[in-house]
Amino acid sequence: MKSYYDRPLLKGPHWGANVVTYLFLGGIMGGLGLISLLSDDRPEPAMKKLRKATRYTAFALAAINPPILISHLGRPERFLNMLRIVKFKSPMSLGVWGLVLYSGAAGANALRELADDGIVPSALRYVAPSATVPIQALLGAFMAGYTGVLISATAIPLWGTGKRHIPAFSVCSGAASASALATLLSTLQGNHEVIPRLERLEMAASALEIVTIADFRKRGGRATAPLFEGRVGKRLRDYTILGGIVVPFVLNAVGGAVRLPKSIDALRSIAASMLTLIGGYVLRESLIEAGKLSANDPQAAFRQPS
Amino acid sequence: MATGFFTDATLCIGCKACEVACKQWNELPSDGFEFTGNSYDNTSQLSGTTWRHVDFVERESFDESGLKTSWSMVSDVCKHCTNAGCLEACPTGAIVRNEFGSVFVQPDICNGCGYCVVSCPFGVIDLIEAVGRGDDAKKYGLATLHDDRLNDRKTAVQATGGVAGKCSLCFDRQRVGMVPACAKACPTESIQFGEIEELHERAKRRVETLQERGVEARLYGADDIGGGIGALNAFFLLTESPEAYNLPVEPVLPSTRQTMGYAAAAAAALTLATIGWAIFRGDS
Repeated sequence: MKSYYDRPLLKGPHWGANVVTYLFLGGIMGGLGLISLLSDDRPEPAMKKLRKATRYTAFALAAINPPILISHLGRPERFLNMLRIVKFKSPMSLGVWGLVLYSGAAGANALRELADDGIVPSALRYVAPSATVPIQALLGAFMAGYTGVLISATAIPLWGTGKRHIPAFSVCSGAASASALATLLSTLQGNHEVIPRLERLEMAASALEIVTIADFRKRGGRATAPLFEGRVGKRLRDYTILGGIVVPFVLNAVGGAVRLPKSIDALRSIAASMLTLIGGYVLRESLIEAGKLSANDPQAAFRQPS
Repeated sequence: MATGFFTDATLCIGCKACEVACKQWNELPSDGFEFTGNSYDNTSQLSGTTWRHVDFVERESFDESGLKTSWSMVSDVCKHCTNAGCLEACPTGAIVRNEFGSVFVQPDICNGCGYCVVSCPFGVIDLIEAVGRGDDAKKYGLATLHDDRLNDRKTAVQATGGVAGKCSLCFDRQRVGMVPACAKACPTESIQFGEIEELHERAKRRVETLQERGVEARLYGADDIGGGIGALNAFFLLTESPEAYNLPVEPVLPSTRQTMGYAAAAAAALTLATIGWAIFRGDS
């Protein structure tokens, strides 16, 4: 096969742990938007507790994600450069606007809960109409999805090959991680009633995620090798596929089928949630690291699939 | 009227005057020095601070007199694509198309996010890691990097962030009616600068002449290169297949992959929302 001294054709991403964290939290914000919608306007006190927990957490994440992005850009004012333009052809541009709008909706929903809890004057709840709940869920779906499109709509062979798969499993991973985080919070709050539902949602998201990842591996050929082989492949297999999807799925299934003593059940649920969250982070990390390797393979880059 | 480069591999003598002229005019810092062992190519690649790069392709063949080695050299450069991946990806609008049809990076608007880097199907644009301290950095019009970050080079981009850099097609020189530095310095007119249509005419005549002489000459990027990218404002005359010069054969414009991505994400989100609705509110 012809090449130029096997030199890489492409330049890999200059992205590290801060971008991985940004993408990971973006996915969780998306999933929290969904759970906030699902638990909205329900009479049960347990659902009310879950609703509050997801809304406060979503707002907290929306507040810490811009600083994480800024830590990648270097200086705070560089973030503002992205707010001088809206560009539909750039997932990075749309994503920043998605983050800004999501923060607004999440802020409105958190404000309404604060008013409900009597922490701020109750009149303030009228500042935030309840329409912001479905809006946050929609923007959340966009947040979780764009973190995948951002990666797949590039020239990196691995990422471009995954133009359908990467956005799909990013959404699933975000929903699974958000369910896991909500389960953890509910366990800490002693809000055990909602946990079976959250775990079922997590199982559904994880199942769809692993099917999509398996299909990506099957169809990818040479371009996907950096993600599934070698050091990155081993890490993805151990932490995401086994530790982050299969083991939590089994733990959640056991929790749903068998009635365990309370303390053991809490441990089971905490372990499943932690593993899912770790798996979600490693998935994003592996995608970025494998993208760096993929950029170094000129043969995959010379002829790209549309 | 768009301007561009026509770079002819059959005229290049590998002198690297274009690389030097480009570095001097654009005040680009050194990339260090390393013997690669890859023919006479010790530059290796285009980068944020190397905007012209001479490829040295060694060809070996046998005949009655034994092993024969010949070279094909060509000076690589930013292609200034009709539909440019970097320009579309840039979230700040720092990368623009200027009045000469060239793709230009405005360093004062670039925020160093690095998204253009992974969006160039030709691997041209890159972040400039460290360009000097204090006044030096200001002189280049580039981001000032903290001294402690400069001492720890591997985290310079990630923690402090540089800006993206690539060929500007000598925007500043063009504005005052001058020819870009590389084309001016090229001693064999292997690099020709001019209006695109005129360059196309010249290139076609050149290919015909070479083919009459039995040289396998082909143009790269003069016509639509496919994948949604369109024609290249900087195009090439090659005598080997594109891969031999580290040029892609079937590149794809990254933004064409977006629609499918959003659709797949929406499908996944809708599926999970439906399942979630059944789990949480199926009983109401």
